[in-house]
Amino acid sequence: MKRNTLVITAVLFILAAFAWAGWANWEYRKQAAERLLATSAQAELVPATGSSDSPLQFLPALLGKPAPAFTLEDLSGKKVSLASYKGKALVINFWATWCAPCKLETPWLVELRNQYAAQGFEVLGVSADDIDRGDPQKLNDEKRAIARFVQEMHMPYPVLIDADSISRPYGGLDDLPTSFFVDRDGTVIAAQVGLTSKDDTERNIKKALGIVK
Amino acid sequence: MIACKTGMYIAVAAALTLSFALAQAPRPLLNEPAHSAPKPAAVAYLYPEQITVPAGKPTTIALHFRIAPGLHINSHMPREIELIPTVFSIPDGSGARLDAAVYPPGADITLPLDPQTKLSVYTGDFIIQARIVASAGEHLVEARLHYQACDNNACMPPKTITAAIDVIGK
Repeated sequence: MKRNTLVITAVLFILAAFAWAGWANWEYRKQAAERLLATSAQAELVPATGSSDSPLQFLPALLGKPAPAFTLEDLSGKKVSLASYKGKALVINFWATWCAPCKLETPWLVELRNQYAAQGFEVLGVSADDIDRGDPQKLNDEKRAIARFVQEMHMPYPVLIDADSISRPYGGLDDLPTSFFVDRDGTVIAAQVGLTSKDDTERNIKKALGIVK
Repeated sequence: MIACKTGMYIAVAAALTLSFALAQAPRPLLNEPAHSAPKPAAVAYLYPEQITVPAGKPTTIALHFRIAPGLHINSHMPREIELIPTVFSIPDGSGARLDAAVYPPGADITLPLDPQTKLSVYTGDFIIQARIVASAGEHLVEARLHYQACDNNACMPPKTITAAIDVIGK
Protein backbone atom coordinates (compact mmCIF):
# COMPACT_ATOMS: atom_id res chain seq x y z
CA MET A 1 0.00 0.00 0.00
CA LYS A 2 2.77 2.34 1.05
CA ARG A 3 4.73 1.40 -2.08
CA ASN A 4 1.74 2.13 -4.32
CA THR A 5 1.31 5.54 -2.75
CA LEU A 6 4.96 6.29 -3.34
CA VAL A 7 4.77 5.21 -6.98
CA ILE A 8 1.62 7.24 -7.64
CA THR A 9 3.15 10.30 -5.96
CA ALA A 10 6.31 9.96 -8.04
CA VAL A 11 4.38 9.55 -11.29
CA LEU A 12 2.25 12.59 -10.50
CA PHE A 13 5.39 14.56 -9.68
CA ILE A 14 7.04 13.55 -12.93
CA LEU A 15 3.94 14.47 -14.94
CA ALA A 16 3.71 17.81 -13.13
CA ALA A 17 7.38 18.54 -13.84
CA PHE A 18 6.91 17.85 -17.56
CA ALA A 19 3.74 19.92 -17.67
CA TRP A 20 5.51 22.83 -16.00
CA ALA A 21 8.49 22.59 -18.37
CA GLY A 22 6.15 22.52 -21.35
CA TRP A 23 4.18 25.53 -20.12
CA ALA A 24 7.36 27.51 -19.37
CA ASN A 25 8.72 26.73 -22.83
CA TRP A 26 5.47 27.78 -24.50
CA GLU A 27 5.39 31.00 -22.51
CA TYR A 28 8.98 31.75 -23.47
CA ARG A 29 8.30 31.19 -27.17
CA LYS A 30 5.22 33.39 -26.97
CA GLN A 31 7.19 36.22 -25.38
CA ALA A 32 10.02 35.81 -27.89
CA ALA A 33 7.56 35.99 -30.80
CA GLU A 34 5.93 39.11 -29.35
CA ARG A 35 9.30 40.71 -28.87
CA LEU A 36 10.36 39.87 -32.43
CA LEU A 37 7.13 41.38 -33.75
CA ALA A 38 7.65 44.52 -31.70
CA THR A 39 11.25 44.80 -32.87
CA SER A 40 10.35 44.42 -36.52
CA ALA A 41 7.71 47.12 -36.21
CA GLN A 42 10.13 49.60 -34.68
CA ALA A 43 12.12 52.19 -36.57
CA GLU A 44 15.83 52.07 -36.04
CA LEU A 45 16.13 55.64 -34.88
CA VAL A 46 16.06 56.74 -31.27
CA PRO A 47 13.30 59.26 -30.57
CA ALA A 48 14.49 62.78 -30.00
CA THR A 49 14.81 63.80 -26.38
CA GLY A 50 12.61 66.82 -26.29
CA SER A 51 13.43 68.63 -23.10
CA SER A 52 16.46 69.09 -20.97
CA ASP A 53 14.76 67.11 -18.23
CA SER A 54 14.36 64.05 -20.40
CA PRO A 55 16.41 61.10 -19.23
CA LEU A 56 19.30 60.27 -21.53
CA GLN A 57 18.14 56.77 -22.13
CA PHE A 58 20.35 56.42 -25.16
CA LEU A 59 23.54 57.41 -23.36
CA PRO A 60 23.04 57.37 -19.60
CA ALA A 61 26.75 56.83 -19.10
CA LEU A 62 27.69 60.28 -20.42
CA LEU A 63 25.28 62.44 -18.45
CA GLY A 64 27.04 64.09 -15.53
CA LYS A 65 30.43 62.82 -16.73
CA PRO A 66 33.28 64.73 -18.38
CA ALA A 67 32.81 65.01 -22.14
CA PRO A 68 35.13 62.44 -23.77
CA ALA A 69 38.35 64.14 -24.85
CA PHE A 70 39.21 64.41 -28.53
CA THR A 71 41.49 66.12 -30.98
CA LEU A 72 40.23 66.43 -34.55
CA GLU A 73 41.22 68.36 -37.65
CA ASP A 74 39.30 71.29 -38.99
CA LEU A 75 38.84 71.80 -42.72
CA SER A 76 42.24 73.49 -43.04
CA GLY A 77 43.98 70.56 -41.38
CA LYS A 78 44.55 72.37 -38.08
CA LYS A 79 44.20 70.17 -34.99
CA VAL A 80 41.55 71.26 -32.54
CA SER A 81 41.17 69.68 -29.12
CA LEU A 82 38.20 69.74 -26.80
CA ALA A 83 40.53 70.57 -23.92
CA SER A 84 41.31 73.95 -25.48
CA TYR A 85 37.70 75.02 -24.82
CA LYS A 86 37.88 74.49 -21.06
CA GLY A 87 36.00 77.23 -19.25
CA LYS A 88 33.48 77.67 -22.07
CA ALA A 89 29.99 76.24 -22.30
CA LEU A 90 29.79 74.13 -25.42
CA VAL A 91 27.50 72.34 -27.80
CA ILE A 92 29.28 69.48 -29.54
CA ASN A 93 27.04 69.09 -32.56
CA PHE A 94 27.42 66.03 -34.78
CA TRP A 95 25.97 66.53 -38.26
CA ALA A 96 26.44 65.53 -41.90
CA THR A 97 25.96 67.16 -45.29
CA TRP A 98 23.50 64.36 -46.28
CA CYS A 99 21.33 64.88 -43.20
CA ALA A 100 18.21 66.91 -44.01
CA PRO A 101 17.23 67.51 -40.35
CA CYS A 102 20.77 68.84 -39.74
CA LYS A 103 20.09 71.50 -42.38
CA LEU A 104 17.14 72.64 -40.32
CA GLU A 105 18.96 72.61 -37.02
CA THR A 106 22.16 74.36 -38.10
CA PRO A 107 20.63 77.83 -38.56
CA TRP A 108 19.26 77.61 -35.00
CA LEU A 109 22.73 76.79 -33.70
CA VAL A 110 24.24 79.66 -35.69
CA GLU A 111 21.73 82.12 -34.23
CA LEU A 112 22.11 80.81 -30.68
CA ARG A 113 25.89 80.77 -30.95
CA ASN A 114 25.91 84.42 -32.03
CA GLN A 115 23.44 85.29 -29.26
CA TYR A 116 25.36 83.66 -26.41
CA ALA A 117 29.00 83.83 -27.60
CA ALA A 118 29.71 86.88 -25.46
CA GLN A 119 28.72 84.91 -22.37
CA GLY A 120 31.34 82.26 -23.04
CA PHE A 121 29.43 79.89 -25.32
CA GLU A 122 30.76 78.09 -28.37
CA VAL A 123 29.57 75.43 -30.78
CA LEU A 124 31.88 72.72 -32.07
CA GLY A 125 30.42 71.28 -35.25
CA VAL A 126 31.71 67.78 -36.00
CA SER A 127 30.98 66.44 -39.48
CA ALA A 128 30.09 62.77 -39.74
CA ASP A 129 30.66 62.71 -43.50
CA ASP A 130 32.91 59.90 -44.72
CA ILE A 131 36.59 60.74 -44.80
CA ASP A 132 38.83 58.74 -47.13
CA ARG A 133 42.33 59.49 -45.87
CA GLY A 134 43.82 56.89 -48.23
CA ASP A 135 42.57 58.68 -51.34
CA PRO A 136 43.74 62.31 -51.55
CA GLN A 137 41.41 63.14 -54.45
CA LYS A 138 38.38 61.74 -52.65
CA LEU A 139 39.40 63.40 -49.39
CA ASN A 140 39.64 66.70 -51.20
CA ASP A 141 36.15 66.26 -52.70
CA GLU A 142 34.71 65.31 -49.31
CA LYS A 143 36.29 68.31 -47.62
CA ARG A 144 34.96 70.54 -50.39
CA ALA A 145 31.42 69.23 -49.89
CA ILE A 146 31.66 69.93 -46.16
CA ALA A 147 33.10 73.39 -46.83
CA ARG A 148 30.20 74.13 -49.21
CA PHE A 149 27.70 73.25 -46.49
CA VAL A 150 29.59 75.41 -43.96
CA GLN A 151 29.56 78.32 -46.35
CA GLU A 152 25.88 77.94 -47.27
CA MET A 153 24.90 77.79 -43.62
CA HIS A 154 27.22 80.67 -42.61
CA MET A 155 28.58 78.60 -39.74
CA PRO A 156 30.76 80.94 -37.67
CA TYR A 157 32.05 78.26 -35.32
CA PRO A 158 34.80 75.63 -35.66
CA VAL A 159 33.86 72.74 -37.90
CA LEU A 160 35.82 69.56 -37.39
CA ILE A 161 35.89 66.44 -39.54
CA ASP A 162 35.97 62.68 -38.99
CA ALA A 163 33.29 62.21 -36.34
CA ASP A 164 33.59 58.51 -36.98
CA SER A 165 36.92 58.40 -35.16
CA ILE A 166 35.29 59.55 -31.91
CA SER A 167 31.87 57.99 -32.35
CA ARG A 168 32.44 55.19 -29.83
CA PRO A 169 32.95 57.33 -26.71
CA TYR A 170 30.01 59.46 -27.84
CA GLY A 171 27.63 56.53 -27.98
CA GLY A 172 28.00 55.36 -31.58
CA LEU A 173 26.37 58.37 -33.28
CA ASP A 174 23.84 56.16 -35.04
CA ASP A 175 21.49 59.09 -35.56
CA LEU A 176 22.11 62.63 -36.71
CA PRO A 177 21.94 65.36 -35.65
CA THR A 178 23.19 64.57 -32.16
CA SER A 179 24.25 67.31 -29.75
CA PHE A 180 25.96 67.17 -26.38
CA PHE A 181 25.71 70.17 -24.07
CA VAL A 182 28.81 70.67 -21.96
CA ASP A 183 29.12 73.10 -19.05
CA ARG A 184 32.14 75.27 -18.21
CA ASP A 185 33.65 72.44 -16.17
CA GLY A 186 33.57 70.11 -19.16
CA THR A 187 30.67 68.02 -17.85
CA VAL A 188 27.94 66.72 -20.17
CA ILE A 189 24.72 68.15 -18.77
CA ALA A 190 22.27 67.31 -21.58
CA ALA A 191 22.03 65.75 -25.01
CA GLN A 192 19.66 65.82 -27.95
CA VAL A 193 19.31 63.10 -30.55
CA GLY A 194 17.48 64.13 -33.68
CA LEU A 195 15.79 67.39 -34.41
CA THR A 196 13.98 68.83 -31.39
CA SER A 197 13.27 72.57 -31.36
CA LYS A 198 15.16 75.82 -31.11
CA ASP A 199 13.60 76.41 -27.69
CA ASP A 200 14.85 73.09 -26.34
CA THR A 201 18.30 73.79 -27.71
CA GLU A 202 18.35 77.26 -26.16
CA ARG A 203 17.19 75.87 -22.81
CA ASN A 204 20.06 73.39 -22.80
CA ILE A 205 22.55 76.10 -23.79
CA LYS A 206 21.36 78.23 -20.85
CA LYS A 207 21.76 75.22 -18.62
CA ALA A 208 25.32 74.71 -19.89
CA LEU A 209 26.07 78.39 -19.25
CA GLY A 210 24.61 78.13 -15.74
CA ILE A 211 21.91 80.73 -16.50
CA VAL A 212 19.16 78.27 -15.61
CA LYS A 213 19.23 74.98 -13.73
CA MET B 1 13.70 -3.44 2.67
CA ILE B 2 11.99 -3.76 -0.72
CA ALA B 3 9.89 -0.65 -0.01
CA CYS B 4 13.03 1.22 0.98
CA LYS B 5 14.78 0.24 -2.29
CA THR B 6 11.71 1.15 -4.37
CA GLY B 7 11.53 4.50 -2.62
CA MET B 8 15.17 5.17 -3.42
CA TYR B 9 14.66 4.32 -7.11
CA ILE B 10 11.63 6.57 -7.24
CA ALA B 11 13.54 9.42 -5.57
CA VAL B 12 16.41 9.08 -8.08
CA ALA B 13 13.96 8.99 -11.01
CA ALA B 14 12.14 12.04 -9.65
CA ALA B 15 15.41 13.94 -9.21
CA LEU B 16 16.50 13.11 -12.77
CA THR B 17 13.12 14.13 -14.14
CA LEU B 18 13.21 17.44 -12.27
CA SER B 19 16.73 18.15 -13.54
CA PHE B 20 15.60 17.43 -17.10
CA ALA B 21 12.53 19.63 -16.75
CA LEU B 22 14.60 22.49 -15.30
CA ALA B 23 17.06 22.20 -18.17
CA GLN B 24 14.22 22.35 -20.71
CA ALA B 25 12.48 25.33 -19.15
CA PRO B 26 14.09 28.59 -20.28
CA ARG B 27 14.87 31.40 -17.90
CA PRO B 28 12.40 34.28 -17.83
CA LEU B 29 13.02 36.99 -20.47
CA LEU B 30 13.06 39.67 -17.82
CA ASN B 31 16.48 38.49 -16.76
CA GLU B 32 17.91 38.89 -20.25
CA PRO B 33 19.98 41.95 -21.02
CA ALA B 34 18.04 44.73 -22.73
CA HIS B 35 20.50 44.95 -25.62
CA SER B 36 20.20 41.29 -26.61
CA ALA B 37 17.81 42.03 -29.51
CA PRO B 38 19.74 43.11 -32.61
CA LYS B 39 18.81 46.41 -34.24
CA PRO B 40 16.61 45.84 -37.29
CA ALA B 41 17.93 47.14 -40.61
CA ALA B 42 16.14 50.09 -42.19
CA VAL B 43 15.81 48.23 -45.50
CA ALA B 44 15.36 44.50 -46.11
CA TYR B 45 15.59 42.57 -49.36
CA LEU B 46 12.46 40.49 -49.82
CA TYR B 47 12.62 38.39 -53.02
CA PRO B 48 13.27 36.65 -55.42
CA GLU B 49 15.77 34.32 -53.80
CA GLN B 50 16.26 32.27 -56.96
CA ILE B 51 15.81 33.03 -60.65
CA THR B 52 16.45 31.14 -63.86
CA VAL B 53 17.45 33.23 -66.87
CA PRO B 54 18.64 32.47 -70.39
CA ALA B 55 22.44 32.44 -70.29
CA GLY B 56 24.04 35.41 -72.03
CA LYS B 57 20.77 37.21 -72.72
CA PRO B 58 19.69 40.40 -70.93
CA THR B 59 16.77 39.57 -68.64
CA THR B 60 14.82 41.94 -66.45
CA ILE B 61 14.01 40.85 -62.93
CA ALA B 62 11.92 42.66 -60.33
CA LEU B 63 13.71 42.95 -57.00
CA HIS B 64 11.50 43.67 -54.01
CA PHE B 65 12.68 45.62 -50.98
CA ARG B 66 10.94 46.80 -47.81
CA ILE B 67 11.69 49.89 -45.73
CA ALA B 68 10.98 49.74 -42.00
CA PRO B 69 7.83 51.60 -40.87
CA GLY B 70 8.41 55.25 -39.98
CA LEU B 71 11.54 55.54 -42.12
CA HIS B 72 12.22 56.76 -45.62
CA ILE B 73 15.28 56.51 -47.86
CA ASN B 74 16.33 58.89 -50.62
CA SER B 75 15.13 57.87 -54.05
CA HIS B 76 17.60 57.16 -56.84
CA MET B 77 17.31 60.80 -57.83
CA PRO B 78 17.17 62.96 -54.69
CA ARG B 79 16.41 66.62 -55.18
CA GLU B 80 19.62 67.90 -53.62
CA ILE B 81 23.18 67.04 -54.56
CA GLU B 82 24.25 66.40 -50.96
CA LEU B 83 21.62 63.74 -50.42
CA ILE B 84 22.76 60.18 -50.97
CA PRO B 85 20.86 58.33 -53.73
CA THR B 86 19.67 54.74 -53.50
CA VAL B 87 21.87 52.67 -55.82
CA PHE B 88 21.67 49.01 -56.76
CA SER B 89 24.77 47.19 -57.96
CA ILE B 90 26.20 43.76 -58.65
CA PRO B 91 29.88 43.22 -57.85
CA ASP B 92 32.20 42.17 -60.65
CA GLY B 93 32.91 38.47 -60.88
CA SER B 94 29.48 37.43 -59.64
CA GLY B 95 28.62 35.33 -62.69
CA ALA B 96 25.96 37.87 -63.58
CA ARG B 97 26.36 41.52 -64.42
CA LEU B 98 24.00 44.42 -64.12
CA ASP B 99 23.17 45.77 -67.57
CA ALA B 100 20.77 48.45 -66.36
CA ALA B 101 18.55 49.26 -63.40
CA VAL B 102 15.21 51.04 -63.50
CA TYR B 103 14.29 52.65 -60.21
CA PRO B 104 10.80 53.67 -59.14
CA PRO B 105 10.11 57.40 -59.05
CA GLY B 106 10.48 58.90 -55.61
CA ALA B 107 7.52 60.20 -53.66
CA ASP B 108 7.72 63.85 -52.63
CA ILE B 109 7.54 64.44 -48.89
CA THR B 110 8.29 67.36 -46.62
CA LEU B 111 9.57 67.28 -43.07
CA PRO B 112 7.03 68.60 -40.51
CA LEU B 113 9.45 71.33 -39.42
CA ASP B 114 10.24 72.36 -42.99
CA PRO B 115 7.12 72.22 -45.14
CA GLN B 116 8.80 74.24 -47.90
CA THR B 117 11.50 71.73 -48.82
CA LYS B 118 10.49 68.69 -50.83
CA LEU B 119 12.42 65.45 -50.55
CA SER B 120 12.23 62.63 -53.10
CA VAL B 121 12.07 59.39 -51.14
CA TYR B 122 10.97 55.77 -51.01
CA THR B 123 8.84 54.43 -48.19
CA GLY B 124 7.30 51.02 -47.52
CA ASP B 125 7.87 48.46 -50.29
CA PHE B 126 9.60 49.32 -53.53
CA ILE B 127 10.77 47.44 -56.61
CA ILE B 128 13.91 47.86 -58.69
CA GLN B 129 13.79 46.42 -62.21
CA ALA B 130 17.26 45.08 -62.81
CA ARG B 131 18.33 43.95 -66.27
CA ILE B 132 21.02 41.35 -65.79
CA VAL B 133 23.13 39.17 -68.04
CA ALA B 134 24.17 35.86 -66.49
CA SER B 135 26.66 33.35 -67.76
CA ALA B 136 25.75 29.67 -67.90
CA GLY B 137 25.69 27.88 -64.58
CA GLU B 138 24.48 28.57 -61.08
CA HIS B 139 25.76 31.69 -59.33
CA LEU B 140 25.12 32.99 -55.83
CA VAL B 141 24.98 36.70 -56.60
CA GLU B 142 25.43 39.03 -53.65
CA ALA B 143 23.88 42.16 -55.10
CA ARG B 144 24.12 45.39 -53.13
CA LEU B 145 21.78 48.19 -52.28
CA HIS B 146 23.34 51.40 -51.01
CA TYR B 147 20.95 53.79 -49.26
CA GLN B 148 20.64 56.39 -46.56
CA ALA B 149 17.64 56.31 -44.25
CA CYS B 150 15.96 58.94 -42.11
CA ASP B 151 12.78 59.54 -40.17
CA ASN B 152 11.21 62.95 -39.71
CA ASN B 153 13.74 64.04 -37.09
CA ALA B 154 16.99 62.21 -37.63
CA CYS B 155 19.11 60.38 -40.18
CA MET B 156 21.20 57.26 -40.01
CA PRO B 157 24.57 56.92 -41.71
CA PRO B 158 24.57 55.52 -45.28
CA LYS B 159 24.49 51.76 -45.43
CA THR B 160 24.91 48.95 -47.96
CA ILE B 161 22.87 45.77 -47.63
CA THR B 162 23.28 42.53 -49.54
CA ALA B 163 20.53 40.98 -51.66
CA ALA B 164 21.50 37.35 -52.09
CA ILE B 165 20.06 35.88 -55.30
CA ASP B 166 20.68 32.42 -56.66
CA VAL B 167 20.94 33.07 -60.43
CA ILE B 168 20.78 30.07 -62.73
CA GLY B 169 21.87 30.74 -66.29
CA LYS B 170 20.58 28.11 -68.75
